[in-house]
Amino acid sequence: MTDIPYQLPGIPSAAYSDILGRIAIPVIAVVAAFLVGLVAVMAMGVPLDRAVSAFINGAFGSAYSISASLNRSISLALVGIGFVIAARAGLTNVGGEGQIAMGGVFATALCLAPGIAELPFGLSFIIPLVGGAIAGGVWGAIAGFLKVRAGANEVITTLLLSFIAIWLLYWSVQSENLLRQPMTSSATLPESLSIPASTQVPLLTGSYTSPVTWGLPLTIVIAIAAAIILSRSVFGFNLKAIGFNPVAAARAGIAVGAGVVTALFVAGALGGLAGALMLQGEQYSLKAGFSSNYGFDGLVVGLLARNSITGVIAGAVLFGFMRSGGISMEMMASVPSALVGIIQGLIVVSIAGAAYFLDRRSAR
Amino acid sequence: MSQGTAVQDVPTPAEKTEPQPLLALSGVGKRFGEFSALSDIDIAFNAHEGHCLLGENGAGKSTLCNLVFGIHQPTSGDMRLDGALYAPANPRDAMRHGVAMVHQHFSLINELPVIDNLLIGKKFGRLNRKAEAEKIMTLATEFGLGLAPFEIVGDLSVGQRQRIEIVKCLMQRPRLLILDEPTAVLLPEEINSLLDVCRRVAESGCAVAMVTHKLAEIARVADRVTVLRGGRAVAHSADPSNDMDVLVRAMISREGEAGDNRNFGVSALPPRKLAPHRGPLPEAMQIDNLSFVDEIGVKRLDSVTLTIAEGEIVGVAGVEGNGQSELGSILAGLSHATSGRWFAAGHELTTAKPRQITAAGVGVIPEDRHLVASIGQLSLADNLQLGRMQGFARYGLIDRKRQREEARTLMQRFDVRAPDSQSAFSTLSGGNQQKAVLARELTTSNLRFLLAAHPTRGLDIGAIEAVYTYIRQAADQETGVLLISSELDELLAVADRIVVFYRGRIIGERAAKIDNRDDIGSLMSGKTP
Repeated sequence: MTDIPYQLPGIPSAAYSDILGRIAIPVIAVVAAFLVGLVAVMAMGVPLDRAVSAFINGAFGSAYSISASLNRSISLALVGIGFVIAARAGLTNVGGEGQIAMGGVFATALCLAPGIAELPFGLSFIIPLVGGAIAGGVWGAIAGFLKVRAGANEVITTLLLSFIAIWLLYWSVQSENLLRQPMTSSATLPESLSIPASTQVPLLTGSYTSPVTWGLPLTIVIAIAAAIILSRSVFGFNLKAIGFNPVAAARAGIAVGAGVVTALFVAGALGGLAGALMLQGEQYSLKAGFSSNYGFDGLVVGLLARNSITGVIAGAVLFGFMRSGGISMEMMASVPSALVGIIQGLIVVSIAGAAYFLDRRSAR
Repeated sequence: MSQGTAVQDVPTPAEKTEPQPLLALSGVGKRFGEFSALSDIDIAFNAHEGHCLLGENGAGKSTLCNLVFGIHQPTSGDMRLDGALYAPANPRDAMRHGVAMVHQHFSLINELPVIDNLLIGKKFGRLNRKAEAEKIMTLATEFGLGLAPFEIVGDLSVGQRQRIEIVKCLMQRPRLLILDEPTAVLLPEEINSLLDVCRRVAESGCAVAMVTHKLAEIARVADRVTVLRGGRAVAHSADPSNDMDVLVRAMISREGEAGDNRNFGVSALPPRKLAPHRGPLPEAMQIDNLSFVDEIGVKRLDSVTLTIAEGEIVGVAGVEGNGQSELGSILAGLSHATSGRWFAAGHELTTAKPRQITAAGVGVIPEDRHLVASIGQLSLADNLQLGRMQGFARYGLIDRKRQREEARTLMQRFDVRAPDSQSAFSTLSGGNQQKAVLARELTTSNLRFLLAAHPTRGLDIGAIEAVYTYIRQAADQETGVLLISSELDELLAVADRIVVFYRGRIIGERAAKIDNRDDIGSLMSGKTP
């Protein structure tokens, strides 16, 4: 008989819904992590003001840097939203990196495919975006299918599928039969041709001095839609039921297998979309190292958000701006950008640790 | 079944001198927010004595245990252990004071052998399993607990696993041993040996506190009984076997037939009115030559054939482990038969998924309420509508207001008591949880067949009566019912006919009449006339 249950693990607890858990703790964690970062900068003998001004300039010193930071945040947010959706069904999608890669490969192929660039009504850039999303989605769905059919753990399959995707991308930019640009000399780089201008995602402002793309409003719409779907839709409810207790969900008539595959498809599709946006809105050509860790950083954003879409947005913005600041700090003040990784790590550890203690306290 | 004999074997309680209480609670209360789980409890637990806590679901028995074991802290009153103030901050603290508890749900590592489970966290440095095993065996044998220290826990029966938990407690030489509904999970034959163990532990000088709602067990172990109702101690008895009637009256506000307390929940039901004979009835469900071989190759079901007519209640009797669970699991769509077929409401469902089974008009009350029938973390309303949210959707979005209204209607109709339709399902008492599951399954659209597997397990008398009332109402509306239960008296009172399972086969069938009781009992032990 269960009069009063123990605190069940894995549920967003009451403590997290109060102001302290939601706002104060993350803010304190971020500030503290930055202070540690400053100490590290001083220890390296770099003048503090130079490092800080380089960081600030790179993150939000100009319209250009703000735009670049926002573009980075978009990728992180999309992967993070996907992570949260899969997590609702009790799934841990660690395959963001590979899903981005697949999105990038297929978006490149579509952008360069004959006839696409001439399509009207913006279809020239929309079709590659959709294609990239589907490619990432299929990559995620494979892991879902393996889980449903063979019981394979999705943490392992999504991770291993990532490696496959990353090497597929590498192969596709190494082989002229695939996406590599025609070899005119031995100095031709192993990367794809630049995609035609009509397949690039248009800039919000239309000017390259603030190159934030239409990916930003698209991501905001996706975030709102995801929040509504998770909290109010039948699909979101079914995912939650599957995540808590798949046996009971199945018995009650919820299609558990389809739910698992769909959740991972959606997570993968958002990763693929991130990849397509990175290609069509920022890099314009595909090269090895294309996904540059956005998949894993997006995963961290999703983990930190603890199942909240708002949390994903906050985390993505923070990490996106930090990434820009870090790059600039490395260039302007010769502080290794790895320092940003350290600060990110500290934030993760302190927020996760604080959440743990809050949960324990509320369990009492 | 075996409870009937248990009542007769009342041992004469040992000579009692008024002992010094080991643990005394005075004025203890516990509130969870607005909800008062316990108020003003005065109880004394004495060394050398077995003390039963009796009460319906939700009476506060488990909460009381949790306070003594330090899982929760009382919000008022105090506890004194050997005269000194006792306020355990957590279970570890309680254990340091010599208080040990056997929970309903075990905390064992199935992959490890028994001995490792017993030694986890207790040993540092070199581990001499053999020497430790000998020590533990001596202790276990002292209390009549048979143990095989090198068996893997996962291979053991529930009763054997419970013994490990008890030995784990006894290894700390506790002064007070708490058992939270220890018999709820046991087979009838295991119950007796558990009760013997409890007696021996008490005789060794320990205080034993046991939560139960089975009256027959009290006579065997209890020197004292405290009855809880609605979070208050409503009766004490120091001579329970003579005060049984008083205790029953205290436990439930209504009273059953004098002298027959065992199956009060079903004896309160009116006799079943059979519909006037209308010639052969159409069948609600048909099982045709069904067999099931499990993954290790054991034949769990062997050519079972059974037909249930509309409006008929067929009981499945049998000692547990004779194929009833496997049959239930197949009819629920959670596993598939190895050979044979089954049909319900005119559809073949042999390879159907749970979703298709529900859609065909089959309601299922699974054996495991927590793992299969409900999702504790979701709200009551969500559990009432589990799998049917589509019905409340507009453009894929759930109309929460309509869903809540519908949930409230169901709560009223099936008397599911909860503060609110949004209460977390896991906070409801077992009886209310089961009524909610019933509410969902009995309102399956086009319901033609209902599978009810142990629908009253762990429930109090009032809830048992409610559950069977609803099941009968369904049968009165032409639903065929397959009722699997290990309580023969319940089957006799509720079913129309009873089939007996033995080693995966139906070895006999009898009308559900009290005169057939002995006959069915001998069929259950495998004796065919």
